Amino acid sequence: MSDETGHSDAGATRRRALMLGAAGAAAVVSIRPALAQTAGSVMTCEIPVPDPSRAGGYIDANGNVVPAGTKNAFAPPLRPLKGEDVRRAMAGGGNLPGVDYERSRAYLKYVGRLQRGTTGFTCFASLQMLRK
Amino acid sequence: MAETRYRAPARDGLRIAALDDLIAVYHRASGITHLVVAPVPELLEAMAGEWRSLESLAEAFGLAAGERGALIERLDELVAAGLVEAA
Amino acid sequence: MRHVFSVRIGPVSFRVGSDWRGPVEQLRALYADHPAPVDGIADYTVRLSATRPWRRFVRPSVAIAGDYMLPDAAPLPLAHGLLAAEMAMNLQLALGERRFLLLHAATVERDGRAIVLTGESGAGKSTLAALLSARGWRLMGDEFALLDPETGLLHAFPRLVSLKNAAVGVVRRALPEARFGPLMAGTPKGDIRHLVPDAVALAAMDRPARPVRLVFPRYGFANDAQPVGAGEAFVRLTQASTNYVALGEQGFDALTRFVREVPAVALDYPDADSAIAAIEG
Repeated sequence: MSDETGHSDAGATRRRALMLGAAGAAAVVSIRPALAQTAGSVMTCEIPVPDPSRAGGYIDANGNVVPAGTKNAFAPPLRPLKGEDVRRAMAGGGNLPGVDYERSRAYLKYVGRLQRGTTGFTCFASLQMLRK
Repeated sequence: MAETRYRAPARDGLRIAALDDLIAVYHRASGITHLVVAPVPELLEAMAGEWRSLESLAEAFGLAAGERGALIERLDELVAAGLVEAA
Repeated sequence: MRHVFSVRIGPVSFRVGSDWRGPVEQLRALYADHPAPVDGIADYTVRLSATRPWRRFVRPSVAIAGDYMLPDAAPLPLAHGLLAAEMAMNLQLALGERRFLLLHAATVERDGRAIVLTGESGAGKSTLAALLSARGWRLMGDEFALLDPETGLLHAFPRLVSLKNAAVGVVRRALPEARFGPLMAGTPKGDIRHLVPDAVALAAMDRPARPVRLVFPRYGFANDAQPVGAGEAFVRLTQASTNYVALGEQGFDALTRFVREVPAVALDYPDADSAIAAIEG
């Protein structure tokens, strides 16, 4: 599991320094389970907006994914939505934390239209099944 | 104030599997899987089971004084992910 | 809970208890050719119960319960009781299974080698699997692929194949001899009919297969096939698995081995014929 250790030649060390320097982007992604219950709590499930296969798209007022910059559409949230926040917002009609009213409505509409198999759908489905 | 030091799990606390340019890391203590890119495995190895200062890590990676930024970024990321302890 | 039904599907068996006869009779009819649980002992229990005693009769409403439950899950009307039973069985397996790593995928097999189709709904996995079964491929399952962490082999789990909306007609035309369950219109998942797995699928149910290809199909795009790296396949499969986390280190080993050994391709296709040609080619 380990590669050549620290006392390699100068070339290898410089290479590693370059790799570190080439940072700026994330180097670590932690796997979050798609199905809320398998993490033991709905709070830990997340819904990326939009689905990674449509990353970069904006969300219009009806929850559709539209090209970035489309008029009257909203830039997506920087972080995936937390299951617990979505549930609370849908149940109580409040906003998603830190998001204004219209933008929240748009994001929640997007979530409501998720299709099975889309990243985040199983999180949403388990939230849906939680509503009486 | 004492300098921050970092420690990664001991070698047998991690399972590592290279999958093309992504490396899957299973952290036994937490049961969490992380996907990482180079040079994270080398960083984890350098701190495996031992407290290392920023200084000594920078030296191990042949970084000049002005190149610390990226290293700190990586370490912060690893601490946030729970793979590395900071003290 | 007066009505009971038990069935074995591959390495997994269920017993279903119901307050109503209807869903149990439907299950019994559609699973008529499946075996009973080994020694009569079921792995998982499902209960279909009335939300209140009078709801057995007035606007009958089926609440799903069992070993594994989502508390406060929304009940379904009795007309969709069969769907409720299938969803409940899915839930037991999804949350409870520890012997196999589960992947949300359809699997077909030929000559001992299996192709795994995984991805978004509307990607057409169930439909493609059903159509391939009309062309000499053995259907191993349309909902869950069961990966054995010890051997790396896939075990068949041929449940009723759930087909939606337009796919129903397409599959009926391709499989004129096949048996279908009742039409359930207007369910939360659309109009649904279940396809009964054929005799070939049932006869081979206990024969595992080695996975040789992983396909991420995407319906409604121009023909294209792009290889998918092991790292990306790994991440996508953790999202397609309901028990990866629960399996811990065993899950890590099973999935890393799988993506390293099984080449993956992202397949875009405009219609079923193109997809089939690409998969068979």
